[in-house]
Amino acid sequence: MAFIQIRNVSKAFSPNTFAVRDFSMEIGRGELVSFLGPSGCGKTTTLRMVAGFEIPTSGTIFIKDTDITHKPPNQRNVGMVFQAYALFPNMTVAGNIGYGLRIAKRPPAEIEQRVKEMLALVHMANFGDRYPHQLSGGQQQRVALARALAVKPEVLLLDEPLSALDAKIRVSLRGEIRTIQKELGITTIYVTHDQEEALSISDRIVVMNGGRIEQIGSPFDIYNFPQTEFIAQFVGTLNAVKVEVKDAAAGILRLENQTIKTTQTSDLGKNGDQVMIAIRPERLSISADGAAGNVLEATVENITFLGAIVRIQVKIDQATFHIDTFNDPFIALPQIKQKVHVAFPEEAVMALKNK
Amino acid sequence: MKKNKASVFFMWFVFISGMIYFFLPLYATFDFSLRMLKDRLSLEAYKEVFKDPNFYTNFGYSMVWSVVTILICMLLFTWTAYWMHLKMPHWRPYIEFVSLLPFVVPAVVLIFGLIRMYSRVSVGSFNLLGTPILLIATYVVMAMPYMFRSVDAGLRAIDVRTLTEAGQCLGASRSQILFQIIFPNLRVSLLNGLFLTFAIVIGEYTVASLLGWPSFGVYIRYAVAMKAYEPAALSLISFLMTWVIMMIVQYVGRGSPGQTQIATH
Repeated sequence: MAFIQIRNVSKAFSPNTFAVRDFSMEIGRGELVSFLGPSGCGKTTTLRMVAGFEIPTSGTIFIKDTDITHKPPNQRNVGMVFQAYALFPNMTVAGNIGYGLRIAKRPPAEIEQRVKEMLALVHMANFGDRYPHQLSGGQQQRVALARALAVKPEVLLLDEPLSALDAKIRVSLRGEIRTIQKELGITTIYVTHDQEEALSISDRIVVMNGGRIEQIGSPFDIYNFPQTEFIAQFVGTLNAVKVEVKDAAAGILRLENQTIKTTQTSDLGKNGDQVMIAIRPERLSISADGAAGNVLEATVENITFLGAIVRIQVKIDQATFHIDTFNDPFIALPQIKQKVHVAFPEEAVMALKNK
Repeated sequence: MKKNKASVFFMWFVFISGMIYFFLPLYATFDFSLRMLKDRLSLEAYKEVFKDPNFYTNFGYSMVWSVVTILICMLLFTWTAYWMHLKMPHWRPYIEFVSLLPFVVPAVVLIFGLIRMYSRVSVGSFNLLGTPILLIATYVVMAMPYMFRSVDAGLRAIDVRTLTEAGQCLGASRSQILFQIIFPNLRVSLLNGLFLTFAIVIGEYTVASLLGWPSFGVYIRYAVAMKAYEPAALSLISFLMTWVIMMIVQYVGRGSPGQTQIATH
């Protein structure tokens, strides 16, 4: 039995404006599921419905077989970490972490012990007496996490908790969040618009667009086998180009003057159709002659150094492609305007559905 | 250089003029209050004031009216402003308009309207006019613009919605959130509102006089009519009390906890 069940949940803020449409999914115990999508896609609204801050217009939400759809937030035993931290400015770090336990009228000794445990968990054992305004953003978010976990909630909700932090802190803190989540085995829903965040920490990702679910899958599946054009464009970088289907059964496509082969023939339609195909930049390479798979003639237009990655922009007929290759200072890069061969395996070519 | 000197001179001129404008009448009043005894300066007027039992009675009544008014204002307007911020932000223009109405209605008109309305309201032998309820209710209305706006300004400076939701996730009820989270973070705003409410009530004359209740304002008016030097002493005592309370407010409100911050690191 799923730990969290969200069944056909919709939320309308006015008769013709749906923030969430017919959202259904199940989340297993101990799973970390990310809701990923652009601003306004309904991911935060869905999270807030699980938290109890919004009531669904229709549909139901269950936690451990209990219908919580209309329960007030303070009766759901759900912990939440907010984007703006929401630490109580009038309380110390220890006071913030212990607040939920004081509300629950736990004995003072138990509260003190639990606060110590939580401070140790988030590596802030010496910060108990400080006030929130004396902490950095990363520290505040750790305290917010400790506060949410102190009351041993059944579900942990995180609403873009790292958005307000700088890049380096985001990377280290998201790893810490994932480690703590796994250690405690707490079922978690994580809302983010950052695909790298979602891909790196999630057991499964729900990609949302326009209030609807586009795809649910593991990070590997979402990235490598996007089911729609939106997902392919939103998650990761993508080379997308329109081609003509020459032989749908054999997977032969025509890009202006050159032929491309694909093994993914199920979504090609019929011969003569125009179809959008996509290839990840890291699946392309500048090849020597005689490489296997697809080999196309191209002209180098631009080279961008991105640190660990070098991005080479090439023109294949009239289409622009990007090739991502690892930075190796001992391998010479091609020159601008140089004629090269671009190789990629047949299975790297994805035909995109436009939902 | 010339421009700098001129602007510095102008600044000092304005400052000194302002100080003279403010302190000269106070000094003149103080000087007058010391001249009760002929040919020598003394604190006789102050002694007469503090010897008068009516001073303590009326001041005591005003203190009671102030405290009760402040308590009602704090509870009523803090809750109203909190609910407006949380659930009804679109009602702000209407609530702000209502909060400004006491400025428009003169106290005399207000009290005559209230007397006319409530003089006919009786439950058995209980009539509102015979109790200080109407007096305090009038004071609450008069203090509304100051207390409400003070609290509203404080609430604007904190993220009310997120703090409330954070409290709810931890199991707190709305009243627990209001008293344990919101109120403490409004300390400075509440103290400012408290001070303004106190200042309004302690020196108020019209409403207390028309409703026939003792108050410090009524006592001062009586002293002005019957005595010469004591009113001057009373004025300075009032000023002194106001400044003492202001200093207490400053002292208590110092080091107010920081607001919810979105840090950049």
